[in-house]
Amino acid sequence: MELNIPARQQRVKVARHSWWRRTEPYAYMLPAILFVAIFLLYPAVYTLYVSFTDWDGLTAPEFIGLENYLQMFKEPVFGTSVVNTIIWVVATLLFPVGLGLLLAVFVNRIPLQEFFKAIFYLPYAISATSIAVIWTYMLAPTGVVNEVLKMVGLGTLAKPWLLMPPWNTITMLMAFTWQTTGTNMILFLVGLQSIPPDLIEAAKLDGANAFQTFRRVILPLLRPITTVVVTIAVVNSFKVFDLIWIMTQGGPFRSSETLAVTMYRESFVSFRLGFGASIANFLSLIVILFSIMYLRSIFKPEE
Amino acid sequence: MSKKYLTRGALLLVMSVLVVFWLIPLVTTFLTALKTSQEAAATFPWQLPQGFALPENIVWAWNNGKLGQSFLRSILYAGLGAAFAIAMASLAAYALVQLRPKGAFIWFLLIYSGTIFPFQMYLLPLFFMYQKTSLYDSQVGMVLFYTAIAIPFCLFVLRNHFTTIEYEIVEAAQLDGLSNFGIYLRIYMPLSVAAIAALFLFQFTWIWNDLLFGITLSKSPDVRPIMAGLAGLRGTYAAQNIPGVLAGALLASVPTILIFVALGRYLLRGMTLTTSGE
Repeated sequence: MELNIPARQQRVKVARHSWWRRTEPYAYMLPAILFVAIFLLYPAVYTLYVSFTDWDGLTAPEFIGLENYLQMFKEPVFGTSVVNTIIWVVATLLFPVGLGLLLAVFVNRIPLQEFFKAIFYLPYAISATSIAVIWTYMLAPTGVVNEVLKMVGLGTLAKPWLLMPPWNTITMLMAFTWQTTGTNMILFLVGLQSIPPDLIEAAKLDGANAFQTFRRVILPLLRPITTVVVTIAVVNSFKVFDLIWIMTQGGPFRSSETLAVTMYRESFVSFRLGFGASIANFLSLIVILFSIMYLRSIFKPEE
Repeated sequence: MSKKYLTRGALLLVMSVLVVFWLIPLVTTFLTALKTSQEAAATFPWQLPQGFALPENIVWAWNNGKLGQSFLRSILYAGLGAAFAIAMASLAAYALVQLRPKGAFIWFLLIYSGTIFPFQMYLLPLFFMYQKTSLYDSQVGMVLFYTAIAIPFCLFVLRNHFTTIEYEIVEAAQLDGLSNFGIYLRIYMPLSVAAIAALFLFQFTWIWNDLLFGITLSKSPDVRPIMAGLAGLRGTYAAQNIPGVLAGALLASVPTILIFVALGRYLLRGMTLTTSGE
């Protein structure tokens, strides 16, 4: 590093500062390491520990081994929560991701691109909490959705959406689609616009129609960006909390809880801390597995 | 040729219909926030308001809904949290890239591992840790936590950015006798101003939008951050004053919308950064 400094001068410098030279980099890293260790890593490890205990937060945690994990599979609420989480993940792939791709393909072929991008991306600038408040209003018994249905003569379809399973989950997914489709669309659009136009021209010259071109040329070339979008969307759909907590609190009768919400309710409403911690670990395990699959697909050597 | 224009026209039509649908929630929310609560109850959401009650509704949300305190607190939390995180992450990133201590990559992974867990992993121990140390429901506690949660991502971005700084510049500075800290302060930081500004706004937005930690680590109106305040406002007044609650939801989004408008393109780049980062 100090090749250009004359040897003698360097030796003096090294001698005088050798202790500090070795310590300096760690001193610079220390604040960041301390903050992360105290506020993030220690809590994560502690949650792992708590999941093997029975704890009400008042008395000392009592070690009970795998009891909490076995208990998970006995509670119907946990089953509902897992099913809802799977619905969220699958629906996320269909709507925010699938619709995002479709919109990107459409927008790529028409004028006023910037305008369309801005409109669909706009909800992303609003917090999930505000979106939840807005959509609760949309879906209220006398809200916009029901009023529109009545206006167009479909009044029989009007219902208190957020109070009826499975409509509560379905309509929250609508809100989520509204919130996140724009970002996926823009990522896909970036991918589409990096495809060389002559490849598509060549396919057309070979007699491929629009759909075949899309299936055989565009989709394979979009694969890298698709991997990114799909993984992020899946991981995020596991973590959705704000929307559900504001719109239904997981209700009515815990019918619309996902794992992220069940963990919060068991921990901070029911104060079954060991059980809540075991759900947090279950959720982490799934999210980390998906992240590893994702990392492997990125770093997979070119075939 | 005409077939091409036909498909293009059809696509434009489909997209325009979708745009209308996409705008309905925002337009009706905005129209309702312009009405008094009596008017909102008596009219259809898409009917134009008779007066202009938006200022009253915002003042109501700010004062009666106690959103004002949360709004100001969140500016403090998001501003300080993002700034502290960048300060610490940039020092650590500088050490990793320039001073290259033993096991640099392990240290990087240790700090960066703060991004892999779902937030539910942190909640319980944090809550009890905060209760024991009187950090619970305190402004200091909120700033400390938001700083910590922002560090790993800041480190990731800054470490990447710092590797692009040309070695010749650093070498010249060393010859001029600048200390290591001097190089950090006079060379690395000034050369990263654009990246740091974008990172700051990105982290500001994240902290501003947080609900989960806000409701877990605070409860009183003069501590809880904006989204926790908005959740409380809605919980209390949803039935009584819909325009006021919606005005609150819009008010809570003003800073992030401003950032979005000012930085549309950068945010997009930030998004691709997050994307490749997770």
